[in-house]
Amino acid sequence: MSADQISIIIVEDEPEFRRRFAQIIDSEPTMRLAGVAANKREAQALIDREDFDVMLIDLGLPDGTGIDLIRNVSQRKPDVDIMVVTVFGDEQHVVSSIEAGATGYILKDSTPADVISCIRLLRAGGSPVSPVVARSVLRAIRSRMGGPGATSTSAPARSANAENNPLSARETEILQLLAKGMSFNEIGEILGISPHTVTAHIKKIYRKLAVHSRGEAVYEASQMGLLKT
Amino acid sequence: MTHCLNRRPCIPARPSPSLRTLGRAALIALALHAATAAAATLPIKKLEWSYVAPDAQAQADPSAPGTNFELPLRWPTEEGTPLRTVAMRLRFGLPAVPDRTWAVLLSHASEGGRLSINGKYIGTIPEESAWRHVAWRRPQMLSIDPSLLLEGDNELLIESRFGPGAHTLARVEVGPQGEIWNLYALQFFFEHTATWVGATVALITALIFGALWLERREAISRLLALAALFWLTGCAAALVEIMPQGLRPWVQLASIAATAGFMATLAITLMRLSSLARRREEWLICGYAALGPALCLASSLRAEPYLQLAWQPGLLLIVGVATGVGLYRRTQAGVASPHPLVLVAAVILLCAGLLDYASVIGLNSLDGVPAMNFAGPLMLLALAAPLIDGFIKTMHQAELARVELETRVREREQLLKRNFERLRESERVKVEAQERQRIMQDMHDGLGSQLMSSLMLVERGAVSNDQFAQILRESIDDMRLAIDALAAEDADLAAALGNLRFRMEPRLRAAGMELTWDARRLPEELGLHPDVVLPILRIVQEALTNALKHSRARAVRVTLGTEGSGESQSFDIRIADNGRGIAGERVGGRGLLNMRNRAQKIGAQLKLETAPNVGTTVHLRTRIGPANPSTRGQQTVLNTQAVIERARQQ
Repeated sequence: MSADQISIIIVEDEPEFRRRFAQIIDSEPTMRLAGVAANKREAQALIDREDFDVMLIDLGLPDGTGIDLIRNVSQRKPDVDIMVVTVFGDEQHVVSSIEAGATGYILKDSTPADVISCIRLLRAGGSPVSPVVARSVLRAIRSRMGGPGATSTSAPARSANAENNPLSARETEILQLLAKGMSFNEIGEILGISPHTVTAHIKKIYRKLAVHSRGEAVYEASQMGLLKT
Repeated sequence: MTHCLNRRPCIPARPSPSLRTLGRAALIALALHAATAAAATLPIKKLEWSYVAPDAQAQADPSAPGTNFELPLRWPTEEGTPLRTVAMRLRFGLPAVPDRTWAVLLSHASEGGRLSINGKYIGTIPEESAWRHVAWRRPQMLSIDPSLLLEGDNELLIESRFGPGAHTLARVEVGPQGEIWNLYALQFFFEHTATWVGATVALITALIFGALWLERREAISRLLALAALFWLTGCAAALVEIMPQGLRPWVQLASIAATAGFMATLAITLMRLSSLARRREEWLICGYAALGPALCLASSLRAEPYLQLAWQPGLLLIVGVATGVGLYRRTQAGVASPHPLVLVAAVILLCAGLLDYASVIGLNSLDGVPAMNFAGPLMLLALAAPLIDGFIKTMHQAELARVELETRVREREQLLKRNFERLRESERVKVEAQERQRIMQDMHDGLGSQLMSSLMLVERGAVSNDQFAQILRESIDDMRLAIDALAAEDADLAAALGNLRFRMEPRLRAAGMELTWDARRLPEELGLHPDVVLPILRIVQEALTNALKHSRARAVRVTLGTEGSGESQSFDIRIADNGRGIAGERVGGRGLLNMRNRAQKIGAQLKLETAPNVGTTVHLRTRIGPANPSTRGQQTVLNTQAVIERARQQ
């Protein structure tokens, strides 16, 4: 058990997939399986007990949605990378989990090589993103920009909208190119940056989205009188 | 009044009302009875007539007896006759000197004069002079102090002057002032106030129908307004009782012209109401009506008395004929005829005219009220009533029509709204059905047929584990494609193609092929119809799969972009490899055929360029721009037919 090994926990209720992911990680020498959980309760215990670098989590757990766990982990253990295990056509959930603090996602039927390279990418500071997810993220940001300020159209409100967009021009451009199906390498070539920088940008985008949505949640909670100031 | 104060003697104490006409009697009988009930008055029937100085015929001895006449008296004087001065002595006997004030009443006394009782002056009524003409139509009353009266014989002296024209003195009555005043008031009403009432009716009629004519240009309104104006003129002439001498001929002329005009207009109106509008007859009537005033004018009024006798009955005759026509029309069905009220009024008018004429020629009592005074306004009202009634009915109908129209418009509006909602609903249902059909067909074409053929292979036992995994993977790929196409909101083909790229890239890389994806010339939004998204995805997947399986290429390049602009804008996809190309016998292969069919269905162009050891390029061009509904409709039909066709085949 080397210190360089990436320690991983798996939260997955379907035994077949749990076994498959466990096998993939076990067969990879640079990774270590730190524990598995089949439901929210077990997962919470695992999170409290273990130290880990990466959490693979399925959103649809028998005793509730995994979004709460993602939010919990991303706040208590900011160094942990959270990777959502998803089925295709589930982009909306991917965006909500990114907003909750996830930095990556992987399809359930991915090949073992895909799973390994995805986890590596995450730990190296990048984030994988598919065109449809990129498009969904763009859409989520746009609707949020139109959201709180939509009630008034005065000039200050519009500038507040601009402030509402947490992304820089470069980050938005990268998302747009991703949405068109371009790879990190191709985007890097077009923008004159390394592919690694592109993935770093994407992770930053994810973080911003999570922080932003968290801030919004706090704001909304204080508005509703849930938090004492 | 209607007392028989004509040439025949009658009992003064109880004068019986003469039954002349129903119309007139009905109007006056009531008042008459009220007046005669307390008939303590004393009518004087005889008068002694003598000319006095300065009259040329004045006798040298004023006390010499004059000529005796019986009342009523009518004495026409020719035009040009100088002013005459006359003394009329009327004698009456009293059994005792009354203790109350008495009065004398002169009925239909056209001349004024100075009145004395037993030589004692009692008062003056304005009389004719060199510069002033009087023609009283109202009764006159003067009071007599009882101290002037004597037991036995008394004498009432009227000293009067008269000029040319027709003069009358119908009746003289003395009696207690109260009783005389009753008679006076009654006569005043019928002979003076009634004229005012008639004038007012005529004025209002003229105003209303004149305005109606100005607004609507309706012939009957014009005739009615004209008749009313004539009547008004006649009334005005009758109401002017004192005038300068110079004005007298004109007032008389106006009076004659007004009568003629009224009668002529009335006759024409009656004819028109009987829908008998004959120009020639109408001109004849007008001509005859104009004849009287013309002759009067030409003869400086000398002809007036003769006209009254000979010409005026002609007017009555004309109206009578017109009324007869109206009555005749009334008996015919289906022909426009005057309102019954109009005909009744016309008959009354004719009777009144005949009565008045009878008074003129002396067949009848002189002292009756001119019956035309009542018949004229009655006629105007009778003519106006149906018109006004019709007008009100028209307004009611207009109101009803408006309400009905409003109701209909509202109903139509609701109907339209319902239809619109039904249409929208059916549109929605249609869109949903199209969507369902699309999804159904996608499942059928893709996953369904793939699973079906896989099942057959597996059942034959001809599949190894790896092949089985491969088949399932392909099935999942196809399902993903379908889901990507469905998830691609706003037909977001670029992202769906991107997803496809990400799925295919590891496999190509594993086979030693490098995939380049050039989407730089792809705009943010592609205006493609949802129906074409999945076929395009399938074609691209098929092309990449072909390259993967058969090309042995080192590199595959996918270029996405739009060409042209506006109507001719198109979406172009090129999938090019540098492999060994497709051999001639394989160009008609199943994969390529599938691609071609799919391209054809969505109206896209598919070009295949292949050369041995150079490579293969698949070029797909899809038109963007406003979707053509007709082609889309055809496409739906084609798709439906294709589904049916395939269902038959299986």
